[in-house]
Amino acid sequence: MKEKSNKYLITAILLALLFHGSTIFFTLETTYDALIHLFFADHYANSWFEPWNYRWYTGFTVQSYPPLVHQTMGALSLVGGLKFGLFTVAFVAIILFVTGAYRYSLLITSNRTVAGYAAILAVFSSSFVETLHIFGQLPSIVGVSILMHALPEIYLWLKTGKYKFFFTSLSLISVTVTSHHVTPIFGMLFFIFPLIGTVIMDVAREEVNSYKEVTFSLFLKTFFKQLKKNLAFGLSALFLIVFCIFPYWLNSKKNPITQVPIPHGSRDSFIDVTSSGLVFFTIPWGLLLFILPYIFYRYYSKRYLFFGLSFTMLVILGTGGTTPIPKMILGETAFNILTLDRFTLWGSIMSIPIFGEFVYRFVEGDLKELIQEKFGAVYHRLLGGLLAFFYVAMVVFTMSLGYFRPSQPQKIKMLPIVNFLSQDSHDHWRYLTLGFGDQMAWLGAQSNAMSVDGNYHSARRLPELTTRPIERLENSKFKGVAGIGSLQQFLTTPEKYNLKYIFSNDKFYDPVLFFCGWQRLSQLENGIMVWEKLNVPPVSSILPKEDVPAWVKIMWGVIPFLTVLFAFIFNVQSLIINALKTKTKPNPIYFKYKNDYSKFSKNVLKAFHIWAVLLIITISYACYMFYIKNDTQRSPENVVKAYYDAIDFKELNKSFSYIDPKDNLTRAQYLLEISVTDGLLSSYAKLDAITTEVLKKTDSLTTLKVETKWITPLEKLSKVEFRTTVKRGRKWYLKPTRKSIDLPPDQLYSKNTTGYFNQGRRRITTEQTHHEDVLKQPVLEIVSAKLIKFNKRYSIIGEVQNIDNVPSDVVLKGTLYNDDNKELATYNAKHIIKHKLMPKEISAFRINFEGIAWSKTKDSIPKTFNPDEFTPIELSEQPTKFNLQAAGNTSNSDLFKDVVLSEVNISSNTISGTLFNSGIQEITVPQLIITFYNKDKEMIWVDNLFLKEGIRQERKLRFNYSIPKDPKIKSISNDMSYCFVNGLPNKDIASKIIPNRIHNHTISKLQKVDHSLFSYIKIELNIYIGNPK
Amino acid sequence: MKLKKSFALLLFQLVIVSFLAQETNTKQTSITLLSTKTNYIVGEDIILNFKVKKDTVFQLYCSNSYGSIVLQSKVLSQKASFTVPRFLSKKRGILSWKIINTDETISGNISISSQQHPTSIETYLGPPSIDAGGLDYTMLVVIPTDSLDNPILDNSKVDVKYQFLKSENITPIYTDKLIGYKNFYAPKKSGRMIISSECHGLNSKEFDVNIMPAIATDFKIFTHRNHEYADGNQITTLYTSIIKDKNNNIISDGSYIEFYITDQKGGILKTAATTINGVAHAKIVHPDFEDTWKIKAYFIGIAESNTITIKYKKVIEDYNVAFKQHNRIITVGPLESFMGQLIPDGLSIKLSIYKNKTLIKELFKESNNGFASFYLDPNIYENNEYQVIIETAGIKKEFKSFKLW
Repeated sequence: MKEKSNKYLITAILLALLFHGSTIFFTLETTYDALIHLFFADHYANSWFEPWNYRWYTGFTVQSYPPLVHQTMGALSLVGGLKFGLFTVAFVAIILFVTGAYRYSLLITSNRTVAGYAAILAVFSSSFVETLHIFGQLPSIVGVSILMHALPEIYLWLKTGKYKFFFTSLSLISVTVTSHHVTPIFGMLFFIFPLIGTVIMDVAREEVNSYKEVTFSLFLKTFFKQLKKNLAFGLSALFLIVFCIFPYWLNSKKNPITQVPIPHGSRDSFIDVTSSGLVFFTIPWGLLLFILPYIFYRYYSKRYLFFGLSFTMLVILGTGGTTPIPKMILGETAFNILTLDRFTLWGSIMSIPIFGEFVYRFVEGDLKELIQEKFGAVYHRLLGGLLAFFYVAMVVFTMSLGYFRPSQPQKIKMLPIVNFLSQDSHDHWRYLTLGFGDQMAWLGAQSNAMSVDGNYHSARRLPELTTRPIERLENSKFKGVAGIGSLQQFLTTPEKYNLKYIFSNDKFYDPVLFFCGWQRLSQLENGIMVWEKLNVPPVSSILPKEDVPAWVKIMWGVIPFLTVLFAFIFNVQSLIINALKTKTKPNPIYFKYKNDYSKFSKNVLKAFHIWAVLLIITISYACYMFYIKNDTQRSPENVVKAYYDAIDFKELNKSFSYIDPKDNLTRAQYLLEISVTDGLLSSYAKLDAITTEVLKKTDSLTTLKVETKWITPLEKLSKVEFRTTVKRGRKWYLKPTRKSIDLPPDQLYSKNTTGYFNQGRRRITTEQTHHEDVLKQPVLEIVSAKLIKFNKRYSIIGEVQNIDNVPSDVVLKGTLYNDDNKELATYNAKHIIKHKLMPKEISAFRINFEGIAWSKTKDSIPKTFNPDEFTPIELSEQPTKFNLQAAGNTSNSDLFKDVVLSEVNISSNTISGTLFNSGIQEITVPQLIITFYNKDKEMIWVDNLFLKEGIRQERKLRFNYSIPKDPKIKSISNDMSYCFVNGLPNKDIASKIIPNRIHNHTISKLQKVDHSLFSYIKIELNIYIGNPK
Repeated sequence: MKLKKSFALLLFQLVIVSFLAQETNTKQTSITLLSTKTNYIVGEDIILNFKVKKDTVFQLYCSNSYGSIVLQSKVLSQKASFTVPRFLSKKRGILSWKIINTDETISGNISISSQQHPTSIETYLGPPSIDAGGLDYTMLVVIPTDSLDNPILDNSKVDVKYQFLKSENITPIYTDKLIGYKNFYAPKKSGRMIISSECHGLNSKEFDVNIMPAIATDFKIFTHRNHEYADGNQITTLYTSIIKDKNNNIISDGSYIEFYITDQKGGILKTAATTINGVAHAKIVHPDFEDTWKIKAYFIGIAESNTITIKYKKVIEDYNVAFKQHNRIITVGPLESFMGQLIPDGLSIKLSIYKNKTLIKELFKESNNGFASFYLDPNIYENNEYQVIIETAGIKKEFKSFKLW
């Protein structure tokens, strides 16, 4: 009998190419992972054999990820560019997946039509759609697809013992190994072991007449009979897993993943975090949830018993942190490293054949007959329509997820950044991106410049990164305070990493950049703001790397393609025969175990209905709860939460709709009042938590105490407000609060300022800057400095003055030593200093010696923490002296000084007063730097205060500062003999300009305070202007 | 046994004899220098000739400050000659040579001197800006070099020319150890000095040094204001006299001056400004209550001003407080300014609520059209007896046993 082409399979392939092939161009680049793979591909395209990559994480090895997919993309990129490589591989992955699903289904069901159905269903499987179009996990898809291709070959080897199948199966396994490391390991466990079990069952079945007669003893007997083949295959596969990506294992051994686990949605409790539940449970399972009873029923039939066990495991593991079981099964470490969504993916893939079978039986088989007989044809049609609707709806929903809830920021044009980096030797420094999302990988792939950040967190090496539960610095805003804290360390000591340029796509980070001493350079034509830091040395021309022996490099570069070559050679014959039908081939041996599709079990149908009803009730209840929780004006608490949420997302029209309509505040007035408020809280804060407490409630009026916690780039803010809500009709509304109505005295006023411009290179040349174009470093003077111990932490405090005639950027670096001159710690001045000093301007400073937070992994990381939270460095010995290096560089930006302390009130533990903006720029973030003196007018402490609100021109702002209560302060050293300015001794350099300094000049102008320890204070003012005009 | 001993002896003898025999053989080869010239000018061809006994190839090791090389000889009829390559012969300094791989060491030095006439002048000047007053200085380094980039002979004369204000000068300096240099001490006046140098008729390019003004000396301050009332709204400008250094140069633009203001209560207020043409203008808003300010400005650690005192007169003599709705609405006003006009919007009014002499809450309101009204929400402030203090424009009004119901 001549075999016909399977029209279902062909339909499936065509559909897959049409549907996925045309949509990947709109989705793949905005997925989480695709661009990371592209970056790796670019690495291989440029240096195939050299595994060390300098561009991320101050250097990492690409041997930390299996190379096949990356190398393929890299090789293809030489033909048509990186994206050509990406999309070609994606096409290949799609075809492999559909054909793989077909072959695997054929193996399980032994029925071409059913397998064809399964292939078509696999095309629109929501887990596949999600993995490809939202996660972009190409290696994972390729790996699992090849694994599915391997399964029939493995079966045939185990069953027939023909060596041909031994080699074909192993060749395919090795391709799987080189494309994805986790797939073969767990694939072995979840796919191949059950398959071996099935083969044993089949062999045992041949001894008797039916599966029912297969007893345990018979099974055991057959098991031992088959043991040799099983072992041969198992051990060879194990060998291949180790051998094919041997450098990977070598590297894992050398650099074990000892990082703080990064939170992943798939480990959440899906009931608590519904969004994770949606993405990692509901979407991948989709319609399969409804037919779960059938899948279990089929997989727990005797032949597939082991598949049933494996499937159960996958379902359970896929539930993440919802139940404690996955954590118990995997153990703490594995649970925290693995992303558990892959179990759900495999589970859904495992159910493809059964799903195909179900649909076949429903559409044209015994199930159809049964339903029609029991409930009538209309019911069957209705049910079919419903199932089809849900299936299609799930796919459409999944595909549109990225459109409605974009996981990435808007697409950024990279060319201006790439050009900027390659111009003028800018790539001699490292850079950092902020707010780029996964597009940072695409920038990394296009530029040769190096970044301190990276997008493959398993390869991180800097302890500053590995000890934080954040994947990238780049999106640290979303990682709460751990992220911001980590970022602040990089911003404060950038010279440690040769970090000079920051590309910011998110103005959220602007204040922290400014207060860490960075300055705005220019806005690129794609709207990205470039920040730079002065006084950062370029990256040295020779960089350290962890080298590996040449044979490891050769293995890594050669084996992946060899595995593909071998797989091709071994499988090409059957491939051609199968595709072209040139020869009549006997049916594979597993066709003997055909299923009987003539009588659908009535009990299963009943179970179905019960399950469906239960599921529908659960879903309805979940929806109802969701509605209750989110119905914004149902209760006073809800309206307050909704209002603050809307404010947080700047949905001002929405927030206005929660304002009491009977209040005489108009929409225009409301929007106007919001638009003129600037400052840390209104422009740079993200709502972190909100708690409401009802103080008093009547039927129509409620007063609530609302405590909001905001994360700003500088520190965590909390704000307590008392809000009143009123009930109008059935809805609750919020009473508005009004803005300041202070009238400034001048309608139009002028101000003269001194502006500066630095030519840089005066000649247009690519040469090194001519020496006559190099400006002199402005001379600073460290007026005073001392090492003190405040409670348990050490700080260097003091004052620095710009004694030159040009404005200066100031970088202060302190180092602590013990009596034996052993260096104990080094850190830079962070927020507590005015980084930009005009000529003769003076600033108090404090250098904190911060350790790497939570550097002991044992230290529990607090759930919510303060970005400004301070991790004092742990010093093994007592510091007794210090070295202070001040570096000045001429600066011409951010020289705004027009802020006035216009009123001050001192009470026992607080300092309050008013600031006044006397300039022509709107102040975004005002900062107070407060110096404390003891009764002998000796400086003993410096502190600062960021004000939550901005100050508009000629307006006032009140402030309130609480003096620290009962600190223990000990002065350790005030020996200033190791203070240096621009590398020269402080004393010498200063005496040339100010030979007769008046010491303690303003000592008579210190503010007296009433405090047990502090007798006097001095207030200095610093301001950040967000939008200079 | 005996035979063995005698064999060993014989062997020993043989070894010694063979050594002696070798010695006599090697002594014959020798090589002697023929060239006599030891002083060259850069760029000349340097050829070293040797007389040799055998026409074999010899090796010469040459080294100078620039590098080293091993040369092979060209041997022709018992004369070996070595040509020193140009990359060595074009550098001034001592060139050492040595014949190697022979038993006799034969070596020598050749001194190569630079050409007399420079073709370019390398000049360095730094720092590019110095402070006026004779303490600070900048240094000019001149290196006249010949056509092969060698510094010319020591003790060559270089004329340093410099212009400052109306003066133009030429001073000769002499190169020493390759370079010539001159320190320019800052003149008393600020300005720009143009410097160049000349050597054997060859001129360098132009360099300039900015002479910045030195540090400020004491100065005076003044105030300007529209009226002398403490309305919390108008702005007082504080400004300085033209600030100069001790040599009468106006201090550089952008210098930062801090004005310290001591109010009547001893509070230290602060404003600041940067100078333009030696004058700084700082602004501060009027207080909203009667006050006397003592103002003094500082260049911290450097110079200071005189102290001036200014008074702000009371703008509001008195105001009314009205209570409505069970005392829950408190209206303050009308707030009338010095001519009876309504005070401009934004005057701050503080309401402090005490209960049993402990502060519960401070409320701030800004005046609007001369009035401010507070609402004490019954949900927050329960019916009880309180003490209320209202404070604005420096006038305190206290309401003891204030009842909310």
